[in-house]
Amino acid sequence: MTALVNGPLAKTDSAVIDVRAVSKWYGSVVAVNDVSLQVKSGITGLLGPNGAGKTTLLHMIAGLAGPSEGEVTVLGEPVRDNTPLYRHIGFMPEHESLYGILTGRGFVELAARLHGLEPLGPPVDRALALVGLTDVQHRATGTYSRGMRQRTRLAATLVHDPEVLLLDEPLSGTDPRQRIDVQGLMSRLAAEGRTILVSSHILEEIETLADNILLMVAGKLAAAGDFLAIRAKLDERPYQVKIVANETRAMAAALVGLVVVDSVSVDEEAEPPSLTVMTRKIGELQLSLPKLAKEREIRLYRVEPMDESLESVFSYLVDG
Amino acid sequence: MATVLRLTLSQLGGRWRLALILLLAALPIGLAALVSATLSEAESSNEEFVNTLLDTLLIAGILPIVMMVLATASFGNEVEDKTLSYLVLRPLRRSLIALPKLLAPIIVGGPVLVVSGVVATLLGGSSLGVVIVVLHGDGQAALAVGTAVLAGVVAYAAVFTWAGLMTTRALAFGLMYVFIWEGLITTFLGGVRYLSIRAYTLAILHGMDKTSFGSLEDRVIEFPAAVGGAIIVTVVFFLLTVRRLRRMDVP
Repeated sequence: MTALVNGPLAKTDSAVIDVRAVSKWYGSVVAVNDVSLQVKSGITGLLGPNGAGKTTLLHMIAGLAGPSEGEVTVLGEPVRDNTPLYRHIGFMPEHESLYGILTGRGFVELAARLHGLEPLGPPVDRALALVGLTDVQHRATGTYSRGMRQRTRLAATLVHDPEVLLLDEPLSGTDPRQRIDVQGLMSRLAAEGRTILVSSHILEEIETLADNILLMVAGKLAAAGDFLAIRAKLDERPYQVKIVANETRAMAAALVGLVVVDSVSVDEEAEPPSLTVMTRKIGELQLSLPKLAKEREIRLYRVEPMDESLESVFSYLVDG
Repeated sequence: MATVLRLTLSQLGGRWRLALILLLAALPIGLAALVSATLSEAESSNEEFVNTLLDTLLIAGILPIVMMVLATASFGNEVEDKTLSYLVLRPLRRSLIALPKLLAPIIVGGPVLVVSGVVATLLGGSSLGVVIVVLHGDGQAALAVGTAVLAGVVAYAAVFTWAGLMTTRALAFGLMYVFIWEGLITTFLGGVRYLSIRAYTLAILHGMDKTSFGSLEDRVIEFPAAVGGAIIVTVVFFLLTVRRLRRMDVP
């Protein structure tokens, strides 16, 4: 991968993206509910489960959708119906669609032409090299793998060297190697002073990339700020663990005595009978449980977390 | 603008779509040739030729259907597969996106339909008197057919390009519009003919050559109203398309 042609941008502490009390609804469905946020230069992660409103929010920031209420500005200007602003913004949508009639290079050239870039060759070559597609640039996009299509769209997003990048699930469909490459590219672009807002529903993707996190759940901004602080809050949340053992009642009685256990409930009607443990210290419970079972000569058949999904994590954050 | 035009032309140039259009456009020519070869002047009339072949088949049927297939796809493909964002996220005025999207179906459909109408007129008229006008006049009948069909092509293109941006069910909308509005309502209710592209096309045909197409006399609107109507429909629907592009939520 190559370096950018343009030099570093001046890093700024002022908000590049400003979202003020924005809501978006479709009929009776509220997709985004009274969200206010500011994004400065560097990488900001927009995190949330599927259906949280991330894509709708990104579409409003890109000017593709108009807010039902509120206002969005990018680089100090309203973004909706402000086409000259697109010289400074690159948006990569979530969907994978490409013009199947074009080659990879043709698709990036199309974006360059529509941006009025002249001459065409150098920026297209640079963008293709940035995403590592130079070798396959003359193949029809219809023959590309999902990851290659993803990188083609990223190249078209980068071809005009924008100051602001809005990337909706850019790592989706990439293999581990490509993921590392794209993450490295984003880090370099951010280091050069660009503002990158990148969405994901996978915590680990964002964890390694973003300095700041915006957490969205059910159309609302659930948390915003430093990644470590939010991560700490996630670690303190209560976990539910389902346990199946040969002596359900005896196991429940033993667990109640543990300091790390908040509550235990037994379901003897279930097949097989099981018990559900609530704890805020999942790590300590994992260490204590085998010892306890061995001491009481109880056989454990199954130990599984019940709510590891992001949805439950985010719900916890929203509910406080 | 040239970039969007080239892209749209290649999108509209799908094999099945072109085959369908060529097949439909060949119908009037084939029928006219058949009529010319099998019927004598005594068995048919100029009126029947004009009413059946030019009006019912070409102007009321094939012309709107071909333009519907092409123009609804002009934006329709991009709305459906969500590629429209690749055009609107560029520093381009919306009119510079809408104009090539309007021109592309005209460029693909226009020549095919004009040639279909002109050739059918020449062939069909050989036994019905029209060709005599063509040969002994100054090609006025062929010019009238060509101009009228082209006016219809442009006006239908504007309406259906807008429809392709408005709804993902533009084909259903188009079929209802063609058969219910253009085919039924404006045919039987004289007053609303001023809002019919078919009526504009027939009136331009008649207005440019009253000798060959005199049989339309009783059911056409005034020539200036037809020309003005076609221009107004084209401009209004083009502006509606630009407005829609500016205000819509792009998928």
